[in-house]
Amino acid sequence: MRILSACVVLVVASLGAAGAGVSAPAPEVVFTSNQLTPIQEQEWARNTLLARFTQETGIRVQFVTESEGPYVDRLLAEARAGRGTIDVTGTLHGIFPVFIANNAIRDMAEVQRRLDARGDRTFFPDLLRVARMEGIQAFVPWMQATYLIAARKEALRHFPAGRDPMRMTYDDLLQWGENIRQATGQRRVGFPVGPRGLYGRFLHGYAYPSFTGSQVKRFRSPEAVEMWRYLRRLWGVTHPSSFVYEFMSEPLLLGEVWVAWDHTARLIPALRERPDDFVVLPSPAGPRGRSFISVIVGLAIPRTADNPDLGERLIEYLTRPDTQVLTLQGVAFFPVSPEAARATPTGGLKVVADGVAAQAGARDARTALLPVGLGARTGEFVPIYVDTFRRIAIQGEDIPRVLNEQAAKLAELYRATNAPCTPPDPPERPCVPD
Amino acid sequence: MAVADADLSAAPARPRVDWTPYLLVVPVVLFLAVFFLYPMAQAIWLAVDDPAGGLTPAHLRRMAADLYFRPALRFTLVITALAVPLQVALGLAIALLVHARFRGHGAFLYLTALPLGISDLAAGLIWLSIFTERGYLNALLQTLGVIAHPVVFLTLERPGWLLAAIVAAEVWRATAIVMVILLAGLQLIPRDYAETAAVFGAGPWQTLRHVILPLLRPSLQTALIIRTILAFQLFATVVALAGRQVPVLAGEAYFWYALYRSPQVASAYAVLILLLSGAVTWVYLRGLAPRAGEGRA
Repeated sequence: MRILSACVVLVVASLGAAGAGVSAPAPEVVFTSNQLTPIQEQEWARNTLLARFTQETGIRVQFVTESEGPYVDRLLAEARAGRGTIDVTGTLHGIFPVFIANNAIRDMAEVQRRLDARGDRTFFPDLLRVARMEGIQAFVPWMQATYLIAARKEALRHFPAGRDPMRMTYDDLLQWGENIRQATGQRRVGFPVGPRGLYGRFLHGYAYPSFTGSQVKRFRSPEAVEMWRYLRRLWGVTHPSSFVYEFMSEPLLLGEVWVAWDHTARLIPALRERPDDFVVLPSPAGPRGRSFISVIVGLAIPRTADNPDLGERLIEYLTRPDTQVLTLQGVAFFPVSPEAARATPTGGLKVVADGVAAQAGARDARTALLPVGLGARTGEFVPIYVDTFRRIAIQGEDIPRVLNEQAAKLAELYRATNAPCTPPDPPERPCVPD
Repeated sequence: MAVADADLSAAPARPRVDWTPYLLVVPVVLFLAVFFLYPMAQAIWLAVDDPAGGLTPAHLRRMAADLYFRPALRFTLVITALAVPLQVALGLAIALLVHARFRGHGAFLYLTALPLGISDLAAGLIWLSIFTERGYLNALLQTLGVIAHPVVFLTLERPGWLLAAIVAAEVWRATAIVMVILLAGLQLIPRDYAETAAVFGAGPWQTLRHVILPLLRPSLQTALIIRTILAFQLFATVVALAGRQVPVLAGEAYFWYALYRSPQVASAYAVLILLLSGAVTWVYLRGLAPRAGEGRA
């Protein structure tokens, strides 16, 4: 009994002490994201990007960045519980349908109206168009990115004679890798095929639309069979360690890889360290055009936000043109407002910006968007493509048979979620391979 | 028991239940229930739960039909079968060496125990920097003039090398824990046994074979159980060195949760690891149980 009463006294005393310690805490806003997850980017976000906001406003920011699974689960769990801690969240446009389906985020139209009324910034109209989903504005555009090819300058000597690297085709890329292999005896083309690498994006957003004009509809078409034959040959000139690579900047800097395809943010460390040694080239063109993915990241306020007003202030700060330029310099995500896009970058960023302009401005350019509407099963989309690659290019299985089996999985996924096709496929629902 | 006896002698007329031992155990029981039993039950439930109601084998079937399932099972068993015996043999050798108390054995102990403080991912990255194309091994071989061009060791085109690198990293990382357990076991064996054996004319090998090893059996059992269970959970080292080309069960559980966002199939993998661990523990407990006449050292 004496022990029990001692415990009670201890608990009460410690509660009292804790209460006394909390004297008017500084306001804090909780910001979650599945972007800026690499350690260097997290460091930069906390110490530069968000530190400036705290300096200016006195509002502390608790920045929580996680991989997609835990990130989405946390927000949905708060929505289900009906009360939450997250004030602002920033993620890919393809994830917002999950939040909308679970009634987890607010309509951002009001916030957008107040931002527009400030008159110190505008947003690219097509990004605002993408932000409208299921009758609400799901997010305020925050940053955008794409994927490109970076190459060491010495590799250009081996580029197929008489061809223009800025107008590279898939055949040029294969020939380039072959030329390098003949000259050096090594396979110097690299792709991020590691577990958290983004090679799957290359398959569904670059190769597929460039060869077939489609991401999903023509998954097992004759053109797709042709494409997989090509990819098998391309794997033959690809660095055999590619399946460990998650970020291509490291192998580029080490010289293991001379020609690499990856997300701009994952190439930039190499370009920043040695801007004079690298060129950035647009992704290749196939028989059906030069397809590339435009990655759009948006900001939203959860329904259960504790401090939506503070959240809105953070959104105002993050979308400011100055902040957008800072973000471009820090992590190579591109601005969403023309005011910021006009600021000319230098060094490694200039190299990337030129590549982005050459890709987006090409006559045969064709934009692919990430899939939307797959809800909780969004994560199953990319692995279907990567598994197909593994079976065909690495395990050497029969192409039409693999495509039939994988197409059935794709069809089941889309039928179960009744999700629409994303560009360049026509907007049918559900999006099922022919 | 001492407390209970004291109470009994103080108040023989009114014997009553003393709750102190139970109260002392309560925190541990609560801790185990909240952090081990509940999540375990939840994982098992998730693996067979049908969102439409009732139980379903669908998640388990999905796991078994996955492209990576068979290779993951195979690689996990192969890596365990290669790494664990090596770790136990090496750990035993080091423990015997340290136990012999040669000059400088203290420093040697610290050096060999060093990998204990390194996380498995860090260990994987350290070994990656050794085996990668521009890594230390290639640099060394090139400097010595053994090879003209760097060799790509970590590729499925050289599966033997790839597995060897993983096993080497795993042995380096986890032998220390085996060594520590066995060393503790060795120190519990009274020196009289070895001395008695010497009196009867046993050589060092005979002493080890017939005296030390049987007395060390409980420690060996513990080390084997811990190492094998941890080998089933092996993940970060493999991912760092081989990506997903060498899939393992724990890695697949992670990928199904984090990449495919399917907690159900991830749980199915977790349950499979649990079953394997349980089976192996049972085999060790049966196979290495002290026989009649053998005291537990």
